[in-house]
Amino acid sequence: MLGDIASVIVDGALISAVYALIAIGFTMVFGVGGVLNLAHGALIMAGAYTYLSLVSDSILASVTLHPIVAFPLTIVIVGLISYGLYVVLVRTIEENVVITFLATIVVAIAFTELVTLVFHAQPYQYSVVPGVLQVQALGTRILYVELAAFVASWGAMGLLWYYVTKTDSGRSIRATSMSERGAMLTGVDVSGVRARTWLVAGGLAGIAGVFLGGIGAAEPTMWLEPLALAFIIVVVGGIGSIKGSVAAAYIVGYLQTATGQFLGQSVRGIMSLVVLVVVLLVLPQGLYGTEFVHE
Amino acid sequence: MSDREQTGRGIGRLVGRAESVLRDTLLAQGAGVVGAVGRPAERLLWPVAERYNRRLGERFGEVTGLQLLLLVVAFGGLVTAPLWGQDYLRPLTLGAVWAVFAMGWDIQSGYTGYISFGHSALSGAAGYTTGLLVLHLNPGLSLFVTVPLSILVTTVLGLAIAVPSLRLRGPYFSLVTFVTVLLFYRLTKALSEWTNGLRGIRVDVFTYDLTLQYYMVVVSMLAVAATLTYVGRSDVGTVLVAIRENEDAVSAAGLDPTKFKLWSFVLSAVPMGIGGVLLAHVNAGVDPQTFVIVDNSIQMIAMAVIGGMSSILGPLGGAFLFVGLRDVFLVGLGEELRWLALWLLVLLVLVFARDGLFRLLWRALGALGGDRR
Amino acid sequence: MTLLSVEDLTKQFGGLVAVDDLSFGVESGEILGLIGPNGSGKTTVFNCIMSIYQVTGGTVRFDGTDITDDKTHEIVNRGLSRVSQESNPIGSMTVRENIELFTFPNSIRSLDGGASDEAIASYAAQVDIEDALDDDPGSLPHADVRRLEIAKALATEPDLLLLDEPFAGLNQTEVRRLSEQFESFREQGITMVVVDHNMRGLMDLVDRVVVLHNGQKLASGDPADIVGDERVQDAYLAGEVSAVQ
Repeated sequence: MLGDIASVIVDGALISAVYALIAIGFTMVFGVGGVLNLAHGALIMAGAYTYLSLVSDSILASVTLHPIVAFPLTIVIVGLISYGLYVVLVRTIEENVVITFLATIVVAIAFTELVTLVFHAQPYQYSVVPGVLQVQALGTRILYVELAAFVASWGAMGLLWYYVTKTDSGRSIRATSMSERGAMLTGVDVSGVRARTWLVAGGLAGIAGVFLGGIGAAEPTMWLEPLALAFIIVVVGGIGSIKGSVAAAYIVGYLQTATGQFLGQSVRGIMSLVVLVVVLLVLPQGLYGTEFVHE
Repeated sequence: MSDREQTGRGIGRLVGRAESVLRDTLLAQGAGVVGAVGRPAERLLWPVAERYNRRLGERFGEVTGLQLLLLVVAFGGLVTAPLWGQDYLRPLTLGAVWAVFAMGWDIQSGYTGYISFGHSALSGAAGYTTGLLVLHLNPGLSLFVTVPLSILVTTVLGLAIAVPSLRLRGPYFSLVTFVTVLLFYRLTKALSEWTNGLRGIRVDVFTYDLTLQYYMVVVSMLAVAATLTYVGRSDVGTVLVAIRENEDAVSAAGLDPTKFKLWSFVLSAVPMGIGGVLLAHVNAGVDPQTFVIVDNSIQMIAMAVIGGMSSILGPLGGAFLFVGLRDVFLVGLGEELRWLALWLLVLLVLVFARDGLFRLLWRALGALGGDRR
Repeated sequence: MTLLSVEDLTKQFGGLVAVDDLSFGVESGEILGLIGPNGSGKTTVFNCIMSIYQVTGGTVRFDGTDITDDKTHEIVNRGLSRVSQESNPIGSMTVRENIELFTFPNSIRSLDGGASDEAIASYAAQVDIEDALDDDPGSLPHADVRRLEIAKALATEPDLLLLDEPFAGLNQTEVRRLSEQFESFREQGITMVVVDHNMRGLMDLVDRVVVLHNGQKLASGDPADIVGDERVQDAYLAGEVSAVQ
């Protein structure tokens, strides 16, 4: 029993960090352009499969990189995919919310087909950081990859915080997110800001994907759950608020972990969705967000 | 401007230029040929169209000669399909079933603009009602029992989703419907002992005669199409469109938007119920992959979009086009590539022809009629 | 008889008090002017009356009935309509169809309801847009778009009309013509509350004035008295007064 509780506390803390990363990427894109990028889950999936391809010797046989190299490379690649998605597709349609919505979900589904085509439908297990840490005192074990995920996620969040508070380029993202008109009036290139935001969000998604795939497995349907989680967290935390995303990520993360541990996996999947629905109905603006009001 | 941004702008400009080149050359050439044939044809057909308009124009909308011809040819083709298309009866049947889904989606989402991703949960509910009744109650239950019950369940579920979520605007509403589908899917797995989980439930086909089955489906589809087109053109349809364009104006007009939005869900749930039962029988079973997963919602939406949202008949055409491509014309590409091609087509329509292909065709035909309207 | 009664109305947005304990009444058959500098809360008052905003405190009574918690469409169906500052006609429908929408009964069974073509034409005629009935709102000049908004409100057969800046963007001739049309509405039995900046147009039209400042009632009375009232002048009429006198 103690082991179970300890396990929930530890696992919850570790996985919530990754959830926070997923949510932050999603909410940044929305905050800056009003776009709910339903392809965000697909970007996460791209992270998993890209890393897998770079690291594994059976997929791209000519490319077998050490994780230390593959990891940042994956981040860059997924960031570029996200940037490309914005520049080629979303930018031409973003004034129409409904069309953009539909387009991003179609991209997500198309991406699943692409992945199935190239990698086939079976799940791929891959290793990021092998090994297990036994914590005798608490009667629980922690996978090293989970620890790495935690460290990487908080590292990324720290870098992001630095970027949006201390650098001009990052601050322009925050400014645009707070008030697009205001940002435009102070000379911010809104289109450029949006493109940059998609780039950063893609990078964050890539990191999350590497670890989610490493902890679980990489498979073509793996984009649904992170996307649903992103919604839930972002809605609970408040759309557009990074602070809210982190707080909500921990709430949702712990809820998931505890439910999974004590009530079983199938209930886990249902519980978080129910939470989303309840929050949407009771507190639509979330913990820290502003009400969904068109500019 | 950074290099990256310049490249981005450049790509954007290229796309724009390609678009206008396509439009200018294709349209200019095409228009010449089409006009030469179309205008005299229109003059010939106009008297017939006028007669139609006088009788049914108020109810179903007015048409030009060429548009009426399109409708007659399509209708004729559908009704005589077993004569010319025996090999294609299966995709045609499926096309008709999905047309029912697409039309049902359209009267709610296309008209009001509250885009629902949850409609596969509704068709799933209908399918599973039929399946569960057949599995746990009586395998030989007649259609007269399963159909009304399934529609009832679908309507109740539709209202259960709609009542809480219609208070939310825009994307929030869509998110809730998306989540509903995921929830439903996980429930079918979680309640495996009742639902047979991923294996699904076997349902008897109502007839092994493909032709009879085809007609049963097509007749149902035509009934749905006629009803929804009529409703869409009535005051109710106007209010639903007004809700999409300017919901505050609807309130200011003394009309209760929530009431009309809920009604659109009810109007939508009935076709979903009908279609769900049809699919269960045509498919000889109900399972999460064919019915519930969110991909199916997206397919319905894709059909409506490529046909032309908010027109009922557009989604009907879109459904046949989509199923035709999926099951007949693109089959040679193999499983994943044909889906990729399909989704790419949908994206192209979303970007370049968001009013929908059939709507554009309809307008083009109407334009050949001159300044009569 | 007091047709509309606003009692102790308060509206807060977070820390900002937009309307502060405001009370005034509108007598049946009168044209009341509601004036005040920018930001004094006039549109907010209208939004509270029409239940676009939920009031923080106070009551709104129409024809004796408490309508504070009614929904917007319910209020309209009681006979209270509003013409907003911003025009937002439905672009995909013609002028005629825009007006017709406002005549639909609030019923899901309505398949072919709404007013007759003649009735719609008469609403349009009351504001001089009967020639534009088959046009698209997007092709209309600004003045006609404003008139369409008024026609829509008329189509709901109101007993009381709230008019938010009806003269905005109109030239002098148009202002005078519109004032005449308002007078004819009054003759039909419609009571009106008019908000506007255009002092000249307003003071000639209204029977009585209520002045708002910072969400509170600053003064009320005869137009002539108000114009001469020092507090009002200090608040914002300074400079405008000479134009009116």
